[in-house]
Amino acid sequence: MSRIGEATLADGRKIPYVITDNPPRGGMKYTYFAPDKSYVVQFFNEPNKVDRNMTARLEAIIGRYNPTVSEAKGGAIGNDEKLASYFAGRFCWPTDLVVSPEFGIVSPAYPKSFFFGENASQFLDLKGKDKKSNWFTSSNRRFLNKSELGDFRSMIQMSLLLARSIRRLHQAGLAHSDLSNNNVLIDPKSGNCVVIDIDSLVVPGLFPPEVAGTRGYIAPEVLSTMELDRSDPRRMIPSSVTDLHALAVLIYEYLFCRHPLMGPKIFSSESAEKDDYLGLGPMALFIENPDDDSNRPSVLKTTIKDLGPILEKLFLRAFVDGLHNPPLRPSAMEWERGLVKTWDLLHKCSNPDCEKKWFVLYDVNNPVCPFCGTRITDKNIVRFELNSEVRGHDGEWRKYSELDVVHNTPLFKWHMYSNVFADEKADKALQAYVCCHNGEWFLINRSAEGMLSPQGNPVPAGQAIRLTDGTMFRASRHERGMLIKVKII
Amino acid sequence: MSEFSRRLPVYLLLDISGSMAGDPIEAVRHGVRALISELRGDPQALETAYLSVITFNSSARQVTPLTELMLFKEPQLSAGGATALGAALKLLSECIKAEVRKSTETQKGDWRPLVFILTDGAPTDDWREAAAELKKTKPANIIACAAGAYADTTVLKEITECVLMMNTLSAGDLAQFFAWVSSSVKMSSKSLDSKPGANIELPPPPQGFVIVP
Repeated sequence: MSRIGEATLADGRKIPYVITDNPPRGGMKYTYFAPDKSYVVQFFNEPNKVDRNMTARLEAIIGRYNPTVSEAKGGAIGNDEKLASYFAGRFCWPTDLVVSPEFGIVSPAYPKSFFFGENASQFLDLKGKDKKSNWFTSSNRRFLNKSELGDFRSMIQMSLLLARSIRRLHQAGLAHSDLSNNNVLIDPKSGNCVVIDIDSLVVPGLFPPEVAGTRGYIAPEVLSTMELDRSDPRRMIPSSVTDLHALAVLIYEYLFCRHPLMGPKIFSSESAEKDDYLGLGPMALFIENPDDDSNRPSVLKTTIKDLGPILEKLFLRAFVDGLHNPPLRPSAMEWERGLVKTWDLLHKCSNPDCEKKWFVLYDVNNPVCPFCGTRITDKNIVRFELNSEVRGHDGEWRKYSELDVVHNTPLFKWHMYSNVFADEKADKALQAYVCCHNGEWFLINRSAEGMLSPQGNPVPAGQAIRLTDGTMFRASRHERGMLIKVKII
Repeated sequence: MSEFSRRLPVYLLLDISGSMAGDPIEAVRHGVRALISELRGDPQALETAYLSVITFNSSARQVTPLTELMLFKEPQLSAGGATALGAALKLLSECIKAEVRKSTETQKGDWRPLVFILTDGAPTDDWREAAAELKKTKPANIIACAAGAYADTTVLKEITECVLMMNTLSAGDLAQFFAWVSSSVKMSSKSLDSKPGANIELPPPPQGFVIVP
């Protein structure tokens, strides 16, 4: 049984919602849907806890800190329409405050791709359920049809998009404060993710929200000091550095389908609760800690080593150096950049039945897929080593990153210039692409300016450079243009 | 899943005495079905929650042993007989002892079980000893729900602090009860929140349900 309610918004507009008997309920609030399901109206479980601090925080979130609305329309400073529309796809950001019948918020409904469709599972009726990440990262995977699971490349993409979203929050001084498998919906099929439950953000200068966090994602220091009084200076509350713990946990789960801290080690034989508290809190220990294998599962088919040195180092900083020392955790931007560089090293597995389909080819001398053990059968492995000029030292070049190259690999501005990053602002126009013709390799300039041949002659758009092992050329002769060294193995 | 994943054991103690015959028992059957379907749709519950059903009328019987949700088969429930709550409580203690994994030096133990008791009358057997035992050893978080005008809340208070009362045995109220059980299990499987010894958090009871002080 349902009936239609009417919510009055802070600006006086009135919008309808469908009142149901047992509305879906989270830790903080419960949800009613619009008659056409295009938005949701959410009220708080404990309306008496709504106070001036909370409303001020939500006003700031919906207004001047909102990256999904352009500055011209009242959103975040410096945000234009293009960025606003980009981030509108990355966040389910609240749009309005409800003032009557009681205080609440309005948010857009999740995009359709984050709900299961007809054929998601042969075992369960999942149609219409939202795609919480642990459908995909836990043993629940086995109930899903293969077509839902995505592959390693889509998981890297999701990780990258999530890191970018969190970087955007942190860049504005915001912290999510309850980042977890429940608050990031993922669609491995398309490699997309969306951050939800934005209403408990920590906003600079405003009183922080009271969030407990979610088991498995709460930073160890927060869990360890949870019992202390809120006024106690030793009590750690959610912030951007605690987000960075949760972010690393989520990325680890996306890439390995397991939790980085839940291993076999028994921390207390007194009770499950005590054991869990110690193992996720004060005594938390990375299952892949290189110096202490007491929490290491007996079988680990793939490890952080298989992700290549860039991500391996980031994970070691997150879960070894920074696990109990929050300032050492990698920032969201470091994750974003590390994932972009790792994306460039992805190589297709030669085994058509490989479940993960892609892997990080970081060791060209040992090109074996870590997921299925297949040695790749490609005739050549082609690499571009991208070198940037050391500032203030003309003619001195340093390796910046590497690009694994196959027929049709595209090159974008961030491959051509060391000061361009593959972020939401980057120019995504194709600059050049690689072509393999009759066993010979070429780089075709599509629209790059200032490209030089190995001999130093201009290579205008439409012309190509023939690539052999050892070929070196300037992607662009302009300032910050990369020097590309070609390896063909 | 892995050798070190913990389970959240959930026990339903359902009164199937004669007074539940007819619409109420039908509503209970429906409720159990809805509960399973809801929990199977929640990834965390599906991963951690294990369910057992103990029924009681003139005697008590574990109709479904602790089972993972995907393998759970709906029990056959039919109403008739007296209200042997004492026997049910005793059986509950035995089942917990036998089925719930303890934390030891070498084994990751299960979470503290969640127990939901639903009864519509006063016990007809000796319940004091079993209730006192549960109150003393506290092997589980027990939530008791007194359904309808004839349920005896003072007895339930002897078993657990957490007693709810619903006014009628209507299909609507029973459906709400099971929906609330499902939200409670979902919430517990998420927040299992690692504060040793702290009280578990449950969602607010449905409208029309009263928490018995």
